[in-house]
Amino acid sequence: MSETSYDENGLSPHCPWRKSRSLLRRAAWSPYAAGGLIGLLQIPAFLLVNTALGASSSFVTVGGHIAALFDAGAMQIGYFAGHAAGAKNWWQVALVAGIALGAFLSSRLSGTKRAAVAPVWKRATGVESFAGRAAMAFAGGFILLIGARLAGGCTSGHGISGIAQLAVSSMIAVAFMFAGGIATAMLFRKV
Amino acid sequence: METYRFVVLGLLMGVAFGFALEKGRVFEPGVIVGQMQFRTFTMLKMFLTATATGLILLAVMNGVYGVALHPKATYVIANAVGGALLGIGITLAGACPGTLLAQIGVGYKDAWFALAGALAGAVAFGYAEPALKPLLLSGGPGKLRLDTLVGLPFWAVALILAAALIAGLVALERMRPWQDDLGPDYDGLRD
Repeated sequence: MSETSYDENGLSPHCPWRKSRSLLRRAAWSPYAAGGLIGLLQIPAFLLVNTALGASSSFVTVGGHIAALFDAGAMQIGYFAGHAAGAKNWWQVALVAGIALGAFLSSRLSGTKRAAVAPVWKRATGVESFAGRAAMAFAGGFILLIGARLAGGCTSGHGISGIAQLAVSSMIAVAFMFAGGIATAMLFRKV
Repeated sequence: METYRFVVLGLLMGVAFGFALEKGRVFEPGVIVGQMQFRTFTMLKMFLTATATGLILLAVMNGVYGVALHPKATYVIANAVGGALLGIGITLAGACPGTLLAQIGVGYKDAWFALAGALAGAVAFGYAEPALKPLLLSGGPGKLRLDTLVGLPFWAVALILAAALIAGLVALERMRPWQDDLGPDYDGLRD
């Protein structure tokens, strides 16, 4: 079909974002195309679901049901009960599960293989063992959701959606999100 | 029945979301840490593009068709402290609550531990919420929006902010073309 030679991933070694076979098989889109597509998802979110894009409250929906397996009283807590049922809560759980599926399909189409742990971690933190990285990831995930639920949203709900609605709460949360993220990254080695 | 339809819609939207996150490379921990160290700008470009797209769409949806907005309530301390914790978590996990699932989709094994930590964090917050609510998550000025604070229509402020973000993105792209930030393995590590 083409005179260009591709590597085993179907990508040109010289200019992969231009010369790869099709849009869906490209290893990378411009951040403007990818970000624009995410922004467009606000249309079905607002018109069909009557909500804004978000991700972090789905962790309360799933986490609350897991907690209820061990603690019969968990659903007596209003916060868990409020997230446990209903179309919007399960819509967001499905959205977040769909993210894993979409990313899986995209990476399969482009053939970009990933190691078990991203090489950046050894460079940035010096941690070489999987156990060390797993512990750091667990702690990171824990702080991530404590923070998101305290703030009332995450990068999606406060960031992309909240600023797009000119919400003052979101502007405060996003400013502090970058401040916290930058301060932590400055403790790492330069990557 | 309604929940079932919302779950299918959520899955479809999630697949598109995950596809865009993977193609944009913003799920890569190297891209996140690189952004927080000001070495790469992919995350900021995608984030601001998605936000600007949302601003324009919501200016039309709300301004022309009267579609309801869903801004989050302002609790200054909770937004600020939660936002800072969210940012710390983002750098430690190399992901936000949405991109965590994209990491799992592409095969990063440490992301499963971040997911476990995130669910544990959501559960811990749920148990703490009744105690936190009277301290940090009640009262406050309500669902404050920038447009009502400055006394202009939503669509006008949304379009002005969108224009400012797009101008910033154009300047950022001139300073640093997006291809320069991909790295040879598309993980945000430039060597």
